[in-house]
Amino acid sequence: MVSVAGEVDVATAPALQTRLDEAIDRASPLVVADLSKVTFIDSTALGVLIGARERCAGAGMTMRLVVAEPRILKIFDITGLTELFDIRSTRAEAVQP
Amino acid sequence: MSDVVELTLPVKADLVVLARLTAATVASRANFDIEEIEDLRLAVDELCVSLVGDRSDGRMFLRFIRDDDQIEVEGTLQSGPGESGPGSAPGGLSERILDALVDDHGFDGQDGTPRAWLRKRRARQQA
Repeated sequence: MVSVAGEVDVATAPALQTRLDEAIDRASPLVVADLSKVTFIDSTALGVLIGARERCAGAGMTMRLVVAEPRILKIFDITGLTELFDIRSTRAEAVQP
Repeated sequence: MSDVVELTLPVKADLVVLARLTAATVASRANFDIEEIEDLRLAVDELCVSLVGDRSDGRMFLRFIRDDDQIEVEGTLQSGPGESGPGSAPGGLSERILDALVDDHGFDGQDGTPRAWLRKRRARQQA
């Protein structure tokens, strides 16, 4: 589980990438990025999430996102990424088999 | 009559937040609603990210032009030594975000000075 809070932009996206890479390197079958406390996200951060999803898919792992804030969900929607990601509204839902 | 707010920033990733803060403040003072303020905040972030690309030096100039029912934002880049170039138009995700959140936007990098702009109109009539 990677928990993210606050504003994820061009300045903070590298830290997100590091945390996701660490989670993927642990090779658990499920990687969850909890974005429920994220207040701002831009295309740089979305690009990091897309890269992590591709890494997971390449390694036969599943990646899920937790997005609770309508404003953040809107960004996934307008970029078409709700079709790409498995998005759940709570952590409990995200860790279900 | 237009009100113009100008902001000059070093090209540093951790300072893009200042462009967002300025966008939100100008939009708030122009009576944009919360959704519109958030839209403009993200759109200005995308404008800056597209303008800067992978540069790490130079200065970015932003002009926020507030009219009766719209805000226009213009951004230009003065590259640092050895970093001149045509700039880059917004990539796929940025393009989709800008298309969805603002009324018009554009990019021009033909003369070696990257310039990006956007315009967002206020939907709600002022009371």
